[in-house]
Amino acid sequence: MTGGVIDLDLRQVGLAILLIAVVIAVSVRQRLGLERDLAVGTLRAILQLYLVGFVLTWVFARAYWWWVLLILAVMAGIATRAAVARLKKPPPGAHAVAALALSLSTAGILVYVIGVVVQVRPWWTPQYLIPIGGMILGNAMTSASLAGDRLQADLRNRAAEVEARLALGFSGREAVQPMVRAALGAAMLPTVNGMMTVGVVQLPGMMTGQVLAGASPLVAVEYQLVVVVMLAAATAIASLLFVRMATARYLTPAHQFRRHLV
Amino acid sequence: MPIAAPPPPVRDPVFKVDHLSLAFPGERGRPPVQVLRDVSVEVDRGSSLTLLGPSGSGKSTLLRCLNRLEEPPPGTVFFNGRDITTLDPLDLRRRVAMVQQTPIVFEGTVRDNLGVQPHPERLDLSEARLVRALEAVGMEAHFLDREAATLSGGEKQRVVIARALIGGPEALLLDEPTSALDPPNAALVVETVVGLRESLGLTVVAVTHQAELLRRLGGCFLYLVGGAVQAYECIDGHSDAITDARLQAFLRGESPAAVAAR
Repeated sequence: MTGGVIDLDLRQVGLAILLIAVVIAVSVRQRLGLERDLAVGTLRAILQLYLVGFVLTWVFARAYWWWVLLILAVMAGIATRAAVARLKKPPPGAHAVAALALSLSTAGILVYVIGVVVQVRPWWTPQYLIPIGGMILGNAMTSASLAGDRLQADLRNRAAEVEARLALGFSGREAVQPMVRAALGAAMLPTVNGMMTVGVVQLPGMMTGQVLAGASPLVAVEYQLVVVVMLAAATAIASLLFVRMATARYLTPAHQFRRHLV
Repeated sequence: MPIAAPPPPVRDPVFKVDHLSLAFPGERGRPPVQVLRDVSVEVDRGSSLTLLGPSGSGKSTLLRCLNRLEEPPPGTVFFNGRDITTLDPLDLRRRVAMVQQTPIVFEGTVRDNLGVQPHPERLDLSEARLVRALEAVGMEAHFLDREAATLSGGEKQRVVIARALIGGPEALLLDEPTSALDPPNAALVVETVVGLRESLGLTVVAVTHQAELLRRLGGCFLYLVGGAVQAYECIDGHSDAITDARLQAFLRGESPAAVAAR
């Protein structure tokens, strides 16, 4: 036992992983053809999680601020690549746009949550900064790619509408405003829906973890509230930054629409 | 005493295109596509120019250079004697209106649509003005409160023309304004355009294959193939007076290859 949590040994973890055999059995019986992906996915999950476990153990033991920031930067880099990879037709310079949108939104919210709300001392305490930063980044990544996909699809499908507004003498930014609005709505909807059922349908992962670790459910609830609003803010800011910067790539200074890019 | 030669007629071109060549960047590393090759033409105030040619010949691109939806090289396109790349594109587009192939109406009533203007506060959008704008395109006042989405194609296109003219432009660009319409609706739009040109003294540049519109517009005809000027002729009266063999052949519907052979 460490803290309030029952320590798991390798044998117990192995027993849990046996559950994947059930999934594979279903796949074989129903001819889903997913056996190979399931096996690879399980292996990847084992390797990635153990790797992260070792890295975090190592960083927690050193506890230098630059190590914590380096890890966050690596996470932001991976999130950037993943966000762009999910776009069906990324705009030119999508990596730079995504990197800026994800790192600026994450950094801003982290500073507020760590420094002002939770008041972690010292600020770089990795036990706080890394998991909270990871949650923010994950949500920022999902919302940026949702927004980017919707923006590109709408600009392609409604290109004539954009040009009709330009031809009337509207600025480029005014001409794409309806598509920007639709993209932001699409990015924020899952978060808003999630806020409606949080705690009622399922206990979020962080709250589950804290309760398992022996924290009082009320403390866990307070942290979860911070997390919910923090993630909503991450979604809004990341998608707004991404859409604003991506939109600029589709327009020229002379208020022309670069149709061939959508 | 020598008799003075009569003074040359005063030329007052609204548009002057001077050795315009334009290439679009090739997609994914492919070589650039030459869209316009050394095109020169002038359009006098109050006259009309019709751009003809097979699809892909650069007609629409040339038209879009005139209101700067495409960016021509500096010094190749002039509006009222000024290089359009030195003009404010938003101001230019309010003075050079454009009507596209597919009529784009926005959400709301016809009244709402007429009010979709970049600076509605600078325009007279009074009830009387809106009624006159509709009457000018052959529609009655009761249309003002109709949902724009419920109009027929021809009615939509006439609302689009009314919307384009409310700001009092000097010139009207038409990009196949009848090709998305059935013959009766196309005829109504032709009637509207020809009537407006006469009553407002508008300078008109049109891309069209519609025989009736060509015949009624008269003026000058520019025949483009592969982005280069193949024939150019100005006539008094209507298009039956055309003498150029290639223009005649094209207007009779002969294939581009047959036209080129003449």
